[in-house]
Amino acid sequence: MSYESLDIIHDEHRALAAMLSGLGTLVAGIEAGRLQPDFNLMASMIDYIEKVPEKVHHPKEDAFLFAKLRLRSKEALPIIEHLEEEHRQGDERIAALRTALETYRQNGIAGLAGFQAALKTYTAHEWQHMNMEERMIFPLAKAHLSAEDWAEIDAAFLANDNPWQGAAGEYAALFSRIVNIAPAPVGLGG
Amino acid sequence: MSNMLLEAKEIHTYYGASHILHGIDFNIREGEGIALMGRNGMGKSTLIKSMLGLVRPRHGRVLVRGDDRSRARTWQIAQQGIAYVPEGRGIFKSLSVRENLLMSARAGVDGRREWTFDRVMETFPRLGERIGNGGWQLSGGEQQMLTIGRALMTNPDLLILDEATEGLAPLIAMEIWRIVKEIRKTGIATVIVDKNHGAVTSICDRAMILVKGQVVFDGSSDETRAQPELIQTHLGV
Repeated sequence: MSYESLDIIHDEHRALAAMLSGLGTLVAGIEAGRLQPDFNLMASMIDYIEKVPEKVHHPKEDAFLFAKLRLRSKEALPIIEHLEEEHRQGDERIAALRTALETYRQNGIAGLAGFQAALKTYTAHEWQHMNMEERMIFPLAKAHLSAEDWAEIDAAFLANDNPWQGAAGEYAALFSRIVNIAPAPVGLGG
Repeated sequence: MSNMLLEAKEIHTYYGASHILHGIDFNIREGEGIALMGRNGMGKSTLIKSMLGLVRPRHGRVLVRGDDRSRARTWQIAQQGIAYVPEGRGIFKSLSVRENLLMSARAGVDGRREWTFDRVMETFPRLGERIGNGGWQLSGGEQQMLTIGRALMTNPDLLILDEATEGLAPLIAMEIWRIVKEIRKTGIATVIVDKNHGAVTSICDRAMILVKGQVVFDGSSDETRAQPELIQTHLGV
């Protein structure tokens, strides 16, 4: 059985993980004095995190995968409800990250620790969230969803924007732009 | 088979007294994508080198488009439309980006010239920004892009990528995978050796796992992903 929707989720998780890892490395480099802060770059990275996972990835999981699994597995219900609640808090969490970046931009070096802490909190939360999906939801979905369920879910996922392209290649272009301007060792710029 | 591009039959390769490949069979058809996986030292790169004439197998045969090329030189195999992006990249550091690309430009086996200099520039806009720079001035990610671009300039039917993202930052690695995915869509057959099983199985149709010079799994990428224990056991992740 092929699970194209789960492969797409894996792909999107990898893209998010790479972006968060890049942002973390960038901030660590600034703290160590190896890199200069580039606020436009960091804002673009947060844009990507907001546009792809929060606006495309999570709604797709809620509307198709979780909606179907709700009907098929009682065991999955509390986990789905927990994850959906986290999805609902997504805007708030990304806003906290943006606010911390803005504070850092305005206050200079005094704001770095605050931004670093906000990023650490956001990243830890995303890792925990992705792990819960991959380690708890995926096995339950594979165990309880029928071939017809998967056909419907896969079709919906494939019809949706993906992290590489988005509407008119918007996300792919944003991702490439970030890779091109981010300084080494994060990206190709510098 | 008429659409078979590259085959290895019962390959045994040694490094001195060390027996590395133990009777491996491998094949790839036109347009197919194969993820070649395994832990370090399991024989993945040796298999590639054995098929390309870079290492001479002691037993077994190598066929390109059905013709026995077991004794062919590497350049003769490359002329059959097989492009190799080696581990470590191997760009010409004293040449500029433009020179690295143009020196490899040639038509494909059937005379195709789909991959032109301009198309490579469109695929890797970053190289356009570095066009006059020497190879030695490029970062690891840019060198990797140049090596892939140089391989495409040969208008290959088969592209072999050995550890294409080794040592690259996650963002750069993702960007390279995105581009390789786009290249795959053009119909070029691809063999990818990489440790990132998630990325390679999402790009390739088929997956092979090598353990101690033997094939322990050969199946679809879907089958591979459906068996996490396979990955856990043989790749240790």
